[in-house]
Amino acid sequence: MTRLSGGLIDRSKTLRFTFNGKGYTGHPGDTLASALLANGVRLVGRSFKYHRPRGIFAAGSEEPNALVTLRSGARAEPNTRATVAELFDGLQATSQNHVGPLNFDLLAVNDLLSPFFAAGFYYKTFMWPKVFWEKLYEPMIRRAAGLGAMSMQADPDAYDKGFLHCDLLVIGAGAAGLAAALTAARSGARVILADEDFRLGGRLLAEGETLGDAIAPDWVAGVEAELASLPNLRILRRTTVFGAFDHGIYGAVERVGDHLPTPQTVRQTLWRITAKRTLLAAGTTERHIPFANNDRPGIMLAGALRAYVHRWAASPADKVAIFTSNDDGHRTAADLVAKGMQVTAVIDPRRDAKALGQYPLYAGAVVSDTRGRLGLSHVQITRDGAPVWVEAGALGVAGGWNPNLHLASHHRGRPVWSDAHLAFLPAAAGGPPGLSVAGAAAGQGTTQAALTHGAQAAQAALADLGIAASLPDLPAASDAKGNQHPLWHVPGKHRAWVDFQNDVTVKDIKLAHQENMRPVEHLKRWTTLGMATDQGKTANVTALAVMAELTGQSIPQTGATIFRPPYTPVSLAVLGGGDTGPNFRPRRLTPTHPWAAAQGAVFVEVGQWMRAQYFPRPGEATWRETVDREVLATRAGVGICDVTTLGKVDVQGRDAGSFLDRLYANPMASLKVGMVRYGLMLREDGHAYDDGTCARLAEDHYVVTTTTAQAGPVYRQMEFARQCLWPDLDVQLISTTDAWAQLSVAGPNARKLLERVVDGFDLSNEAFPFMACAPLTVCGGLRARLFRISFSGELAYELAVPARYGNALMARLVQVGADLGATPYGTEALGVMRIEKGHAAGNELNGQTTAQMLGMGKMVSAKKDAIGTVMTRREGMLAESRILVGLQPVDPADPVTAGAHLFAEGAAQDTWSDQGWITSACFSPHVGSAIGLGFLTDGVARLGEVIVAANPLEGKSTRLRVVSPHFVDPDGGRLRD
Amino acid sequence: MTDLSPISALGHAVPQAVRIGTLTITENAGLALASLALRQGGGAPQPFGLPLPGPGGWANAGATSAFWTGPGAWMIEADGRAEDDFASALKAEAPGCSVAEQTDGWAVFEIAASVATLEALLEKLVNIDASRFVPGSALRTGLEHMSVFLIRRTEGQLALWAMRSAAGSAFHAIEAAARRLDVA
Amino acid sequence: MLIPHPLLGPRDAQEFTYLGDASLLNRPDGMAEGALAAFCDYVYLRDNPAGVHRELWFHEQGDRSWLVVTRNTVTHEILGAELARDVALRRQK
Repeated sequence: MTRLSGGLIDRSKTLRFTFNGKGYTGHPGDTLASALLANGVRLVGRSFKYHRPRGIFAAGSEEPNALVTLRSGARAEPNTRATVAELFDGLQATSQNHVGPLNFDLLAVNDLLSPFFAAGFYYKTFMWPKVFWEKLYEPMIRRAAGLGAMSMQADPDAYDKGFLHCDLLVIGAGAAGLAAALTAARSGARVILADEDFRLGGRLLAEGETLGDAIAPDWVAGVEAELASLPNLRILRRTTVFGAFDHGIYGAVERVGDHLPTPQTVRQTLWRITAKRTLLAAGTTERHIPFANNDRPGIMLAGALRAYVHRWAASPADKVAIFTSNDDGHRTAADLVAKGMQVTAVIDPRRDAKALGQYPLYAGAVVSDTRGRLGLSHVQITRDGAPVWVEAGALGVAGGWNPNLHLASHHRGRPVWSDAHLAFLPAAAGGPPGLSVAGAAAGQGTTQAALTHGAQAAQAALADLGIAASLPDLPAASDAKGNQHPLWHVPGKHRAWVDFQNDVTVKDIKLAHQENMRPVEHLKRWTTLGMATDQGKTANVTALAVMAELTGQSIPQTGATIFRPPYTPVSLAVLGGGDTGPNFRPRRLTPTHPWAAAQGAVFVEVGQWMRAQYFPRPGEATWRETVDREVLATRAGVGICDVTTLGKVDVQGRDAGSFLDRLYANPMASLKVGMVRYGLMLREDGHAYDDGTCARLAEDHYVVTTTTAQAGPVYRQMEFARQCLWPDLDVQLISTTDAWAQLSVAGPNARKLLERVVDGFDLSNEAFPFMACAPLTVCGGLRARLFRISFSGELAYELAVPARYGNALMARLVQVGADLGATPYGTEALGVMRIEKGHAAGNELNGQTTAQMLGMGKMVSAKKDAIGTVMTRREGMLAESRILVGLQPVDPADPVTAGAHLFAEGAAQDTWSDQGWITSACFSPHVGSAIGLGFLTDGVARLGEVIVAANPLEGKSTRLRVVSPHFVDPDGGRLRD
Repeated sequence: MTDLSPISALGHAVPQAVRIGTLTITENAGLALASLALRQGGGAPQPFGLPLPGPGGWANAGATSAFWTGPGAWMIEADGRAEDDFASALKAEAPGCSVAEQTDGWAVFEIAASVATLEALLEKLVNIDASRFVPGSALRTGLEHMSVFLIRRTEGQLALWAMRSAAGSAFHAIEAAARRLDVA
Repeated sequence: MLIPHPLLGPRDAQEFTYLGDASLLNRPDGMAEGALAAFCDYVYLRDNPAGVHRELWFHEQGDRSWLVVTRNTVTHEILGAELARDVALRRQK
């Protein structure tokens, strides 16, 4: 229960920490687990289902039991493995999953009810009555499930991401990984060496071995010093490579600041590593042997016990026993004795087992039970049916070692059983291309074999890339291959845990077998074996072996466990990336943004764009007041709106006209230079896709616009047409959306206002009629483009200037147009005016509508082969009789609700009687009531008819009159004035 | 000369600059940009005596530079000509080609730092092999979901063209990444 | 995934937008006899092989080239990539 001598901890410094509020001390180099053990703390948590007392079981990331909540407040992080939490001064940890104090958990009653909580319990119990599910079962299960709780506060730390590229990625810095990295780095190859630990060395740090004439940690330090001096090698400490993805891409998380009292610049970094070759040198994980009551605090993996003693000089108890089926357990016993600890028993089922040191050996025996309420006090040893109790505060269990082949199976590469190793080894083929496995992870488990294999594997991987690497001189190291005996569990009446984290026992596996949940995937889902944070690292193979025994088949016949990313848990914060709030995604600002912001505009997100939604003035109480004013001011005087967000594509080339003829349903090649035409694009299936305008600036030069939302997809479609469909046409495309600030100037005073800024340009109706376009200069020589087009139904122009001048131009227009009523308007007023004019927009162009429905059926030219034209001739499309109409409430006080469905008066409101739906609705200050646009069956023939708009969500029906969609200026006179 | 006052892509009267240790990020509002695309059957011109570089390349001759943007397509940069009608000037130098004004379609940030710092910054920003992105390289790629052009002008100078409308987000991304580096 | 761009070398798949079956290059002649039936096949009929597949990818965050990528949909192995424009021009000859 104290510190031993030695260890890789810095005793010159003391770190203070608390566990469940009680203060303790440790040293730099400690993990939370080693420090707790050194302070005599064995009980660290409660189990998931039965709330059994649990202690520290392992010494690495495979830990199933010792899950704690680290830190407090907003930084509280639940379900952290104490075995990998690096100790820092001021660390706070609390245990999880208990009601009341840890040593008197009220939910421990679940343990007495354990017969009810067997495998499949939830599936079988919470099936009926159905109404109980939402009200009772789910809340109850949710309360009882899970381990730690989230802080429910915003994470105060920063997370980062990055991209790395290398020739060779070495995963794991133990004997094999270090030898591989050294071999590769000396060859000049670009190498990344990643290890999840904060100290390089892997298992070498946990043993009392010598390499050549140096003790293992000293040899590691020597290699590390050389690696650190090589510019072509990068060491990533505290970095878990958690997943192997396609084509040599790996995901890794570097815990940059997790070990600091307060994370500094960045807490964690997500690295996306593109590696030409990868070596997996992740070592092995020890497995245990299930026996009755094998889950008491103090019972741990024998190799972990050895690691705590060597690396951390921490002893979990004064009296220690070892239960082993192999020679490696005896090595642990011998090392403990050498450290001066009292080993009270070594229990080995092999009758011919030999002691490696001075300790009582029980050969041909097993551990058959344990005692100790909150921590182990005695183990029961049974030999030839005769049990004896022996005192032990800790028990190391050694059931053999499983290679950490997880990443090798991330592409469904199935591991292969080896009788020689009594373990699954990575398959020679079927793993991620470019990845090979080295060292203990490949079954080369002695230190000597791991060193040699690591170096050779690196050499081979580099040879693949044409890089010659010579093998380094490696030190002489232990090459002792121990014997082992297959013992998968100790049979008995009591519960023997296989998976500690999910409270799965041998009995549960028997039940699964009995209920025919025998394939390994079924076993997992029926019992929850191998789920949660440890993903069964210490349980899966053992469970499989137990199932094999029950079915009377061999282990490989029973199945193999494969793995998915992530290898260990990855925080959502680091996957989410570095930026939150307004920087979470790119924001695109319009050229007039600074001016609009200074005017107090309210902005709205339109995709990535931030657009001015409306410009409130003092005294305006609601947004509607503002929008109504903007609409009326525009229709009475002149309004100005930034419409830069519409996509602009510059189309040039000898065949530009012919190209556009094939993209738009209506003709474009016939457009005269200096004129603009509305254009409708279809999808190849005949449905309406997007609309905009085409302006012909020269014989071989057009500028076309798209809707804001579809600017990207339409450009992609245009490139598809250019490169894939008609590569013989001479046409060049480039987006110019951002290059030009484009302002809409609309209203009866639009011409008068523009006359004040153009440089001697004749704006008269004769010289510059409706749908004309021209290059010109404004405001004393600024190059510009002018288009006489209208979305509002008013006399209107769009004026484009280089984007940097957009802000000043907006201010200028409002300033010089004050006497003309010049009023800036936002997207709301824009929307109201286009509905009043009956122009289709995104709501009408929703991918399910046709040109015919939009009232543009005649625009689809049959004389040319444009995208989508042919498919509009399908019977179903031609038979479509729903068409765009205007809708106005019979009672002017009634609302019009977009999304409401349309029915004949008196008809049943069901699918069979459905006659269409409302696409757009707004309050029209021009009409003086709410209005809408919608698609209505036989709409054109029904002008004047009263129909019903059903809004079943709100239980409302409104009577609407069918009217022309053109609420404003139906004959278009204003446009042409 | 117009009496309207332009603003920079970051929305100010004067271009912005920031220094983080030895690293500087400078908005270059004076650099003109125009696109140049070959027409079918036409040969490659040498505008302003500039040899047009191949895929992934950037070439410089005096105050004018060019970088490859796609098959038969380049962007041409001209120092200090942002206020001119540079597209027209380029058109005159490249008859029979398609030219479009791009100066205000983009915003360029010039980043200067030590080689190690620049490469560390690149690692945080874009998924390209930073050490292979040698001087004279230019690529379009994604940066924080924005489409950008990156140019390695010299060992210690990097240029990043971002969509003008997203200039603020791009500047933020570069600055945030730079501040997270250990730049002395 | 990494897409082996014929001009730019291996590029991360995140730079690309996926469209699908490269048979979309074979657009029927809309002015020909029987165009409607041909277009119904063109628009709606696709092979969906578990194995080698020729498909269209757009280098949207790159050089704006459309590529025809030959990819094994089971293993994700990429067997080749070429400019779709070259494929389309060859088809027309």
